[in-house]
Amino acid sequence: MAEQKVELFARRLDRGVQQAVHSNSAAGTEKRYTVLGKDYSAPDDLRRLAGQIRQHAIEHLDTYLEQAEQSLKRQGAHVHYAVTAEDACRAVSDILQKAGAKKVVKSKSMISEEIHLNDHLGSVGIESVETDLGEYIIQIDGDHPSHIVKPIIHKNRRDIAKSFEREGLGDYNDDPETITRRARVFMRDKYLQADAGITGANFVSAETGRLVLVTNEGNSRFCLAAPKIHIALVGIEKVIPSDAELAVLLNLLGRSATGQQLTVYTEFINGPARTDRPSGPQEMHVIFVDNQRSQILASDCREILRCIRCGACLNVCPVYRQASGHAYRSVYPGPVGAVLSPLLAGKNFKQLADLPKASSLCGACNEVCPVDIPIPDLLLKLRNRGHEEHAPSPGTPPMGAFAKLASSPMLWRFAMKSNKVMNLVPLEKLPLPYLQPWLKTRTLPEWRGGEFRSWMKDRRKK
Amino acid sequence: MTQSPSRPTGRTVQLMATCLCDAFFDDVAKATVEVLEHAGCEVEFPENQTCCGQPAFNCGDWPASREVMRHTTRVFEGDKPVIVPSGSCAAMLFHGAPLEFEKEKDLPTVQKLASRTWELADFLVNGLGIEKWPGRFPARIAFHRACHTRGTGSGEAALKLLESIDGLEVIPFGEAEQCCGFGGTFSVSFPHVSSSMGCLKLEHMTAANPDFIVSGDMSCLMHLGGLADRGGQPVKTLHFVQILQSALHRHG
Amino acid sequence: MSTARDQIFSSVRAALAPLPERTARPVFSKDVAEPHWLATEADSLTLFQKRAEATGTKCFTDMESCAAWLRSQGVRTVYIPAPLTRLAALCSEFCEVTSNYTRARVNEIDAAFTPAAGAIAESGSIILSDESTPDRLAALAPWHHIALVSRAEIHRTIADALAAMPDDPNLIWVTGPSKTADVEGILIQGVHGPGAQACLIV
Ligand code: SF4
Repeated sequence: MAEQKVELFARRLDRGVQQAVHSNSAAGTEKRYTVLGKDYSAPDDLRRLAGQIRQHAIEHLDTYLEQAEQSLKRQGAHVHYAVTAEDACRAVSDILQKAGAKKVVKSKSMISEEIHLNDHLGSVGIESVETDLGEYIIQIDGDHPSHIVKPIIHKNRRDIAKSFEREGLGDYNDDPETITRRARVFMRDKYLQADAGITGANFVSAETGRLVLVTNEGNSRFCLAAPKIHIALVGIEKVIPSDAELAVLLNLLGRSATGQQLTVYTEFINGPARTDRPSGPQEMHVIFVDNQRSQILASDCREILRCIRCGACLNVCPVYRQASGHAYRSVYPGPVGAVLSPLLAGKNFKQLADLPKASSLCGACNEVCPVDIPIPDLLLKLRNRGHEEHAPSPGTPPMGAFAKLASSPMLWRFAMKSNKVMNLVPLEKLPLPYLQPWLKTRTLPEWRGGEFRSWMKDRRKK
Repeated sequence: MTQSPSRPTGRTVQLMATCLCDAFFDDVAKATVEVLEHAGCEVEFPENQTCCGQPAFNCGDWPASREVMRHTTRVFEGDKPVIVPSGSCAAMLFHGAPLEFEKEKDLPTVQKLASRTWELADFLVNGLGIEKWPGRFPARIAFHRACHTRGTGSGEAALKLLESIDGLEVIPFGEAEQCCGFGGTFSVSFPHVSSSMGCLKLEHMTAANPDFIVSGDMSCLMHLGGLADRGGQPVKTLHFVQILQSALHRHG
Repeated sequence: MSTARDQIFSSVRAALAPLPERTARPVFSKDVAEPHWLATEADSLTLFQKRAEATGTKCFTDMESCAAWLRSQGVRTVYIPAPLTRLAALCSEFCEVTSNYTRARVNEIDAAFTPAAGAIAESGSIILSDESTPDRLAALAPWHHIALVSRAEIHRTIADALAAMPDDPNLIWVTGPSKTADVEGILIQGVHGPGAQACLIV
């Protein structure tokens, strides 16, 4: 029987990698839990409030996006729009080519991963360097992030030391501190030579036009301190009504992502350099990217657009802990990815329609989500859509016969009783394709169909 | 998960035994009847009941699931509380069904059933107001809070009753919020992931050396018990209602 | 041909039009996300110091001890903006002092003082703006950064700081030294920004 892709990936995953992913994720879950518990008596109320804030924002996206655009322009930023991933890539390279820029530094941004920006820039002869330590390692290895906050959760220090050695960053040394120092020295020159810095944005305040960026390493700050052009790639759903909402969202983001009250650097960008404030980039460009988001907004899964990319749902997810990020074959792994990735795939939905199935629907993701996204419900809706569109789903039993049986009480009662023959045969020998995977690792209890019904009948007679 | 705030609490109740109890776990269904009767309830068992339709719902075959659910709404007509000794089947009635009927004309019928549905422990504690359970059950147990009771009062309710039983000790274990890995058809379409999750759960639970592994969902216990059995290190599993029943017997 | 902007706005509007109702903007009090322990905390200065130290930012309340710390750290070149003459005098006893921050010297200057635009007690954060710290690199590139925080400009909460954000192209809240846990989850300080973050409260 064909296998589910996530299952296959998990089964073949190196044990060491799986254990690293598990323990790192579990530590993340633990930290989040501790800090929220220490600081708030009712963290769930706060999550629900944040969820409402984000739901309100996406349901008024027309208004807030327009407002954000005006505010940004007022601050002197250029505002661009991109419908598709290709459009977004082209918008970036157009800006760079117009300015004669040849070298760029990038801070970590999921949307740039989503549109495959580095590949595009490479193809037009622009050098683009990822400056986040994890992302840089991903880049030199030609690899893909396996977690949205901890991109190299699947790598160990020995892998990294080998990559650094190969790239000429010094002799083999797998001490994490040495690795970090070498990256520091290497990046310095890159920042200072770069013509432009590319970032994402965690939030955009419609009222003030402030772009909010959070990092721990300080690389995004460097991307905005050295180069003369700043380009921000922003998903259209990132807008929020005003700065005041940040009090809720920032407090939850850091705690949910890394167990920090605030990340080390929380940066508010309010336009390019001015004559009286000459330090920052002279030009600021904000590119609002749709890339299927407006279609998601139109769907019955629009709640996923609330996501603030904290990664808490990945950390807590038992399936993610077993399968790691690459099993999801897309930029966004884990529970958020199982919803978002097939939707972002647009007309290629079917290719990723297996992801919503890779879940026991345990709901731990919803319980930790800082914006209270009902992820299990969305997974179920997408399973239904996959079924409607006849997406292949290996290992999923057809349900027609079950429905007939369960809607006909007579047949049902007969089946309950007659199935007792199962107790007499070796189940392993039965040609039942959906029973065998169960029996490989588990036994089945004795069949006692109908016993309760007759007991109940007797009891009533007494 | 959303539950109606004004669910009926009358003492004549309809029991939805669940298909698993119908097929395998008659003991649990019997215990449910005895425990409810001890709590002063008259238990009706609508003969035509089958299954809550969850397998098809989880597979994405919502038309098939709705067919079963429509049958279920007909079987459980009326205004009495519907009691389910399974967090997951209860959640199917009060949360899953309204979701799959969102765009259907008969949504109100389904909502009506949803608003009468109680998971067993939730009903005993939050419906009937029982705070303490009589009797004795000298054992150390590891209690797995079934995932489908997240966001409901069920887990706490079951623990409250269990902890009030004389001689019973509920022991803590690691990564308690994690799923056992059953997940319905997930267990057969992702057998490796499902079993690995289950083994991890078993490791955490058995590390504390409990006499019993207890839950409010036979599906989790069937999976965990089956895994342990196949692995050659059987564990003793019990539905919490079996403990309540057993405590009563020892009470005399 | 319609522009990308038109296309996006029309699909967003089309997506939202069928909604029977839209979620209202939630009303919440400014202190809704304050940690519950905040109410019982002391004055903002003490709280700031406590929180800053907890996140790895060293706090000094006098120039002498701050200078002594830099000396003990083996600092060789420190950038001190021109008006801070007393500080410059103190530091020149043990290292080179420059009041001119240039890109050419980015890797030589290993400590820098820059004035902060404020601070946040609740989180122990330092607020820098382009007005207060006219060269962003100066507060970022050196291993040691010391922000000069004025007592009067300590906001009690994050919400307070958000409500009082000055008009400046760039504001940054710095909460501890630059750090990463990318390699095997092990915490390392000083990735791109300062490995030692401090503040001098004046
Ligand atoms: S879905 Fe929720 S928990 Fe997951 S990354 Fe997004 S905001 Fe975080």
